[in-house]
Amino acid sequence: MKKMTLIILLLAFGIWAKAQKNEGEVTFKRTTSWTKMNDQMTFLSKQQKEKNAYMFGNIDISTQTYTLFFSPKRSKYEEKEENTNGYSWRKEQFIIYRDFENETLTDVIDFLGKTYVVEDSLERPQWKILNDIKDVAGHICMKAQIKDPIKNQVIVAWFAQDIKAKAGPERLWGLPGLILELDINNGACVISASKIEFKKLTTELDLPKKIKGSKIKEVGYQQMIEKHVKEKFKEEVNPFWSIRY
Amino acid sequence: MNRILVLLSVLLMLAITQLYAQNPTRISIKGIVQDTNSAVLADATVMLLSPSDSSLVNFGNANEKGVFEFRNVKNIPYLLKISYVGFLPYQQHLTPSPTAINDLGFIKIKPISQELLEIVVKTAKAPLSIKGDTIEYNAASFKVPPGSTVEDLLRKLPGIEVDGSGNIKAQGNDVKKVTVDGKTFFGDDPKAATKNLGAETISKIQVFNRKSDQATITGVDDGSKEKTINLELKENFKKGEFGKITGAVGTSDRGVLRGNYNRFNKKEQFSVIGYANNINETGVNWSDYGEFKGNNTFSSFDNGDFGFGSGGDAFFIGGDDDLLSSFNGKGFTNNLGGGVNYNYTHDKTKLSTSYVYNQTKLNLDQNQNKRTFLQNGSFSTLDTSSTVSFRANHSISGRWEQMLDSTNTLITKANLRFSNSNSAVGTRQEYINNNDALQNRINLNNSSNLNAYNLNGTAIFRHKFKKVGRVFAASSSFVRSTTDGTDNIRSLTQFFEASNPNDQIRAIAQLNQNANRTLTLKAGLNYLEPLSKRFFWENFYNFSNNQQNVGRDAYNGLIETQRYDSLSTYYENRITYNRIGTGLRFNKKGINLSLGVAALRYDLSGKVYPTEGGNLTTQISKQYDAIVPNFTATFNPQQSTYIRFGYGINVNAPSISALQPVIQNTNPFYITEGNQNLNPTKSHDVNLSISRFNQSNFTSINLWMNYNYYLNQVVYNQTVDANLVTRTRPENMSGAESFRTNLYSSFPIIKTKWTTNLSVNYNLSNTPTLVNSVLNTTNSNAYSANIGFSITPSDKIFVTLGGNYSINNIKYSIETRQNQNIISKGLNIDAKWSFIKKTFLESSFNYTGYENDRFNFSQNIPILNVSVRRLLMKDNRLEARLAAFDVFNKRQAITQTGSQNFVTYQQAFTLARYFMLSLTYNVRGHDAKLKKNNNMF
Repeated sequence: MKKMTLIILLLAFGIWAKAQKNEGEVTFKRTTSWTKMNDQMTFLSKQQKEKNAYMFGNIDISTQTYTLFFSPKRSKYEEKEENTNGYSWRKEQFIIYRDFENETLTDVIDFLGKTYVVEDSLERPQWKILNDIKDVAGHICMKAQIKDPIKNQVIVAWFAQDIKAKAGPERLWGLPGLILELDINNGACVISASKIEFKKLTTELDLPKKIKGSKIKEVGYQQMIEKHVKEKFKEEVNPFWSIRY
Repeated sequence: MNRILVLLSVLLMLAITQLYAQNPTRISIKGIVQDTNSAVLADATVMLLSPSDSSLVNFGNANEKGVFEFRNVKNIPYLLKISYVGFLPYQQHLTPSPTAINDLGFIKIKPISQELLEIVVKTAKAPLSIKGDTIEYNAASFKVPPGSTVEDLLRKLPGIEVDGSGNIKAQGNDVKKVTVDGKTFFGDDPKAATKNLGAETISKIQVFNRKSDQATITGVDDGSKEKTINLELKENFKKGEFGKITGAVGTSDRGVLRGNYNRFNKKEQFSVIGYANNINETGVNWSDYGEFKGNNTFSSFDNGDFGFGSGGDAFFIGGDDDLLSSFNGKGFTNNLGGGVNYNYTHDKTKLSTSYVYNQTKLNLDQNQNKRTFLQNGSFSTLDTSSTVSFRANHSISGRWEQMLDSTNTLITKANLRFSNSNSAVGTRQEYINNNDALQNRINLNNSSNLNAYNLNGTAIFRHKFKKVGRVFAASSSFVRSTTDGTDNIRSLTQFFEASNPNDQIRAIAQLNQNANRTLTLKAGLNYLEPLSKRFFWENFYNFSNNQQNVGRDAYNGLIETQRYDSLSTYYENRITYNRIGTGLRFNKKGINLSLGVAALRYDLSGKVYPTEGGNLTTQISKQYDAIVPNFTATFNPQQSTYIRFGYGINVNAPSISALQPVIQNTNPFYITEGNQNLNPTKSHDVNLSISRFNQSNFTSINLWMNYNYYLNQVVYNQTVDANLVTRTRPENMSGAESFRTNLYSSFPIIKTKWTTNLSVNYNLSNTPTLVNSVLNTTNSNAYSANIGFSITPSDKIFVTLGGNYSINNIKYSIETRQNQNIISKGLNIDAKWSFIKKTFLESSFNYTGYENDRFNFSQNIPILNVSVRRLLMKDNRLEARLAAFDVFNKRQAITQTGSQNFVTYQQAFTLARYFMLSLTYNVRGHDAKLKKNNNMF
């Protein structure tokens, strides 16, 4: 049934979609606030959360830069290499390929020190559409929301009304416009577009010829996360110190 | 009756089936999107949502004629939603369609007022929430001056008008009601809220039509609606405060009073802290210190000493105050202290100020046995000393960090300290010669008084250029310090081997008046230039100038007008340091290489006068140049695996005290004299560290190694005469080396329940010194090993176990018969058990053994602490604790050291067994958890 809907949808897309403003490159700033993340750590007492916020409230922010290449058919999201202080850390592998045409995903993800290649068919996320609008990087966006029960996250997405692409940052997609901002758990992590360039893409969206890593299905990947989160909660340690939030 | 029911049911079901049978299962939904002027809205986004939870079922776009169509969709209720830039999101409920095509015809959607869109959404970047007819503004997006009322804020909002007398109109209609968090505020007058509430307390403003009170009461919607404004209060403005107070009484007159209180909002943090005790808490613990300093506990970018990677964003902990407890385990102390701290953090400004006072009175009795090795034997010194001392500090600190704009940052810091201290030390020292005979005895009674003040300031400026990676930084700092003091020296010495009666006894009574003035000025420059994506070029310059003026007037302690000119002096030392360096950095995906070189120069100059303003007696002027290389490499081959290698040459100027050409005779048997001819120490430094953490099985392993080779090291050469008087003088000597290595590993045996950690250390050092002009090389090989387990069998029990063993083998080249082993071993067990809800039993047992084969010394100290605590009252606000410290009454401090040509064993008395009952009230309630409360007291 879902497939049917998708086919219809894609057909509709084929008829209606306009060529302009639906292909290009978006730069995202990903900001993580560790003390805000503490709100969901049920093992921490109210006192400990408050103390953390009181002591570390202004030095707990870390920022990374990501690039999203998108077209109506495909998308690729990865960390941008930035050298601003003459020092380079090894980047965590996190490359997200989406093929909307063939409904497949290929994600290269470092998880607990091992590289995995998640290959599976695309399942459209179950978005809720809300009524708020706001401006992100010069585009009026509508609000949508989704829950990740495994990581215990409420994710708010702001998608552009005027960019007809289904792509988005991180592993999210499937809204009637390009996602320009994600807000995970009330600001604990915010991924927001800082620059949008519309241009014809050539090889940017291609998969690399060689992908190293153990192959895994989406279900298996989610099970690994679930196991890790449960274990770390039991140990009373923030699971997102060791895996991606 | 039943039959009728069954029949009715069947009929009803038939009717329903019939009804549904008429509806097709799959339909098409179509329509045409237009604006209110019937203009076509091409490309509008059209969505089908599930009406129950707004989840997205299907979506598409209108074509260039505004026409949309969903084909072959389930015939169920939908919520149709249409969005288009500049228009209010349109919503329409769709019921199941009786026909195969549900043609919705023309759908007209309303534009958002241009004003709202431009000002709220585009300019202020504020989310605009549209819920039916409610529009919600984000108050933070509208800037009003501090102290403004809500009324001032409302004037700024598009679509809202406020007249001179405060009457409010929203979208042209009078606002009849203003509520706060949905509740009526100050009665019915809408102005009461808007005129009285501060704008900064508000997070959101919602404007909507509310049913009239009449309609609300009667439940009959008469269609009349009132414009209403609801003000939502900021979450974090709801006042934040926390704090706790502890009072405790114990046996042998022990007592504790301790408390802290904090108030905060989003921008400001204010805290007070205080303590008074006689249980050797010379300050507050780390946790309370963190709460006191708040978000200023850690500050980054505070290092202005640039060069070879330093001066970056390393975190600096704490400030210039002595608030953190730092008791060394010896003696009995009475302590009192407290402070206030204020932090302001907003936008681009971060300001912190604090005042701290603390005082400690120490009573210390200790015994020391020291054996000194000479080229032809050894002698021992037995000390029994008793000290009473007092120190008090006032410290005022401030730190201000300002982002001037997106490219410039300025950090300034200042600290002012006043302190005074005094001490009285009574010592009896006995010198036992090589033949085990008592040769000398000395009774020392020294007292001193010191007043000091210190002012220091630092400013660091950073500029980021437009070109990514190009950074410039400049720093400057100064330290001004003054100490004035007097030393009163009284000693009586008996020489038992002297044959001449005149030489058998000697008395000293001396009064020293000391005045020190120090001024240090520092400056630094740093410039980083990106040559390419991979290569960076770093340049730096450091300057420092340290000027010290020291005056000492020595007088006869009995006739205070009689000056001892030979022991008096006035001198000026000046050390100027210049360093210029350059380096190339390469980095690529976790590989960082840095190669650099620096040239440095020390200018040392000293002038000695018999008295301040007297004629110059000695003048020394020296210059020292060095070229030093630096190489570092870091590899990050895998996530959580780091390898670092570094090589460099460090050059350190001699300390001011070593340069002082002053004879220190406070102990007539141990006379030290400075040396103005000292050169800087040069050391080759090689280090390697490897760390790896396996995230899937939580196993970590760390290895580090460090090797140093010294040239011109400052060592204290000794001459011991026949009377066993030691004269020591710092001199430069090459050839010392040290090697240290540590291996640490931690791994779980049972995940989440049982973790083990292991650590092995090896330290090697070779230190040459001259003893009576004979070269002695002290070779020390120290090995130590630790093993520990932490076990959490359930939520209610937490146990840690540990054992350690260390042996230090020391060899003296001038007296190989004195080679010896210093051994210490320990065992510790900590257990916490929550045996009844909110009640905890906590105990720790520590067993330490000390041994030295040469001294024939062996001592074991078992320490047991036990306490029971219970949480009481609502939210566990009160904690009562009954504790027994050192149940076996065995506590004392033992120190064994061996270096140069001596070995010492020291025993100090300290607070032993006592029992204590304490009560702690915590405003926010105590944590009812076992694991995190690991402070015994």
